[in-house]
Amino acid sequence: MKKMRNNITILLLTALVISLISCEKDTPQYLPYEGYTYAELNTNGGDWVPVLQSSGDAIEVTAPSSTDSQEYQDELEELKAAMSTMTSDQRKAIKYWTNNPAIRWNEIALELIAKYNLIPGPNADGTYTLPNPSNPEGPPAFPFAHPPYACRALAYMSVAQFDGLISAWHYKYEYNRPAPFQLDETIDYAYGENDLPSYPSDGAVVARASRNILSAMFPLEVEYLQKMEEEHLESLLLSGGNVMSDITAGLEIGDAVSETALTRASNDGMKNAQTPKAVSDSIKQAAYDRFGWAWDNLEIPVRPVGLTPLFSKVTMWSIDDVESVRPIPPPQLDSQELLDDVELLKDYAKNMTDEKRRIANFWQDGLGTYTPPGHWNRIANEFMVEYKLNPLQTTRTLAYMNMAIMDAGISCWDAKYYYHYPRPIQLIEGFETIAGTPNFPSYTSGHSVFSAAASEVLAYVFPNEASTVRAWAEEAAISRVYGGIHWSFDATVGTDQGREVAQYTIDRAKADGADQ
Amino acid sequence: MRLLGIVIAIITSEALHAQTPSDGLMMPSKNICVLFSYDMGTFDRYWEGSYLRSNETIATVDRNMVLPMAAIGILDNLNFYVSLPFISTESSEPNGGFFTGARGFQDIGFALKYRPIRTDWGPGRISFLGTAGFSTPFTNYLSDYRPYSIGAGAPEFSLRAIAQYEFKNQLYFRASAAHLWRGYTEAERDYYYNDGSYYTAWMDVPNAWTYETILGKWLFDTSLKLELSYSSLTSTSGDDIRAYNAAQPTNKVEVDRLGFSAQYYFKSIKGLGVVAYHNRVIDGRNAPKMSNTGFGLTYQFSVIKKQTDEENAQ
Repeated sequence: MKKMRNNITILLLTALVISLISCEKDTPQYLPYEGYTYAELNTNGGDWVPVLQSSGDAIEVTAPSSTDSQEYQDELEELKAAMSTMTSDQRKAIKYWTNNPAIRWNEIALELIAKYNLIPGPNADGTYTLPNPSNPEGPPAFPFAHPPYACRALAYMSVAQFDGLISAWHYKYEYNRPAPFQLDETIDYAYGENDLPSYPSDGAVVARASRNILSAMFPLEVEYLQKMEEEHLESLLLSGGNVMSDITAGLEIGDAVSETALTRASNDGMKNAQTPKAVSDSIKQAAYDRFGWAWDNLEIPVRPVGLTPLFSKVTMWSIDDVESVRPIPPPQLDSQELLDDVELLKDYAKNMTDEKRRIANFWQDGLGTYTPPGHWNRIANEFMVEYKLNPLQTTRTLAYMNMAIMDAGISCWDAKYYYHYPRPIQLIEGFETIAGTPNFPSYTSGHSVFSAAASEVLAYVFPNEASTVRAWAEEAAISRVYGGIHWSFDATVGTDQGREVAQYTIDRAKADGADQ
Repeated sequence: MRLLGIVIAIITSEALHAQTPSDGLMMPSKNICVLFSYDMGTFDRYWEGSYLRSNETIATVDRNMVLPMAAIGILDNLNFYVSLPFISTESSEPNGGFFTGARGFQDIGFALKYRPIRTDWGPGRISFLGTAGFSTPFTNYLSDYRPYSIGAGAPEFSLRAIAQYEFKNQLYFRASAAHLWRGYTEAERDYYYNDGSYYTAWMDVPNAWTYETILGKWLFDTSLKLELSYSSLTSTSGDDIRAYNAAQPTNKVEVDRLGFSAQYYFKSIKGLGVVAYHNRVIDGRNAPKMSNTGFGLTYQFSVIKKQTDEENAQ
């Protein structure tokens, strides 16, 4: 009897311990938000100035059939029939996509960036093979979605979405065709209601533009992206928010804006950014002749060329001449300023604190992750949901933020390869770091420039959050110094550089008609 | 000052040899065994998925451990264990990554081993034992810093079943199987990729099965114990390390390992033993091809509580 009681006690203790360990944590795979009523509708949004299109009516969209036409009534009946036989998977999909799906497509882009942000390793003979767009399977697979690649993919996708939605808004308020759930009381709308006309479907514009841009940027994901688009388009219909002709018209806009964006992308200079060794060597020699120093890659085996030496030549969005925003030169190698920084970095490394380690890791966004531009897109997504932005405001925010981030990256890479400044591990004997040293020169810090630019655009869109996001950008900048892979002036000058570069895009945003 | 009412005496019993939560030995009631060992592990290759590779970014990684452990005989058939390893890791030089190593106390572990059955059977004696273990990180070491992190950074609960058959000539065979339930570890970033995006700092450390088979023999009047072991660990879920990328705690780990150990108990100094072992990982997945060698001292003594001491101290 006593033994049995002991056994029961042990059993109970066992159950308790197992439940303590395995208590399921919530590990979300996307931002947990649902469809909502927009804070405002921006009925004049069709008059805003697009980024690449000349105006909201530059893409022609024919007038829809009127709601009392037989054609429309047939569409409505088809919709109701489809809605009456929805499966649980379809209901799940509707809940997932929401009525602000640009955020979902942004998350898809971030996921692909994280999937492809893998640096090619060396071959057995010590050489390195670069990803090749004409043989995307590789190995190594194309692309290597490093921060310059990532920020460019995000910029083109967001710009295409924004231009497309300006066009959609233009025709929505020109034709004013109400959404199915507003015309027929028997249709239950899946999301918070809005008075947004449904022709052409804004969701379809976002789906098609995003799918087209991402398919070009991630050629191995064409099938996956098509599958996601199909699921999204079906949800647009089954949500009760669109009939098929709304969606078809939206797809036409999506095709048109993505074609314009991809035409720009194919001629923006990115294909020459990763240079042959001879060009890379001459860039390095030029810096050495000019300043008396040069950055060396210290990997084993040595990588013959740094990351995208000519990313600086890629066409900027809001600045004509990259040299006009080039920062001041970094300190001379024998200057007191550098010697002080050497001591600072040694001190940080020797006296690493939990807080500095946490900051270094939180903002690291290194290989295998969505990169710093991706991290700022995630931050933007969270704010846009919190402030209940409509799809047009959402894509406007993402477009300007990613344009500013890409311009910041181009300017940063100009400084990196013009000044060709060595990393801490190159100048400090025996130095060890807690973060991985990247394959490009030190000055200025990419994290600092990307983050400062992103935070300035967010501060402009969300003035209540300005001090918060600026503080985060400064933390992201100093995180690289804590990580041991950047000098403190890489971070501080980089932050100033990012803020200055972003201002050009913000000036453009202020003049696009949205603030009037 | 209050005296501990404990008198320590070296016992003369034969049952001197209780050692670890996973072996087939039990220590008598009111005995304590302390183990202090030093372990040197090293690897210069690891499996990325199922591909065995080297990586000059980390070159050769050394992992050294100091392990203090105590075993306490609560009842003759019920032992309690507590352990707390200190681990340090670093890369050999030169290496292409310039990463600093890690060091610190890893996980504090507790275990209860119970022997419900020991009986003569055929030409020898058969024993069945069961062990329940729990361990949890003792410090806030970073688990998301492979290959230097000193542990998985997650609580673990294990249940192990052990069967041992020993012939009259002290040749024995032992097999054990255990399931490890692992919890979550907290990274210092709130986004990671694990065959898809995860927007959280919590990483799910996969549960695992472990199996062990051992052939052992006592020699020289039960003073030298030799063991050959084959053990394996298989995660029940998890992702693969991606090409030329760092490992992470969510990985599906598999390890097959061969080992040899020798333990000697001095006749001249009652209760003192020495142990030496060598293990080699022979196959794996998302795991280092680690070899480790260790040496340790064990000391066993009995504790007899004398109430009079406590009274005298008042």
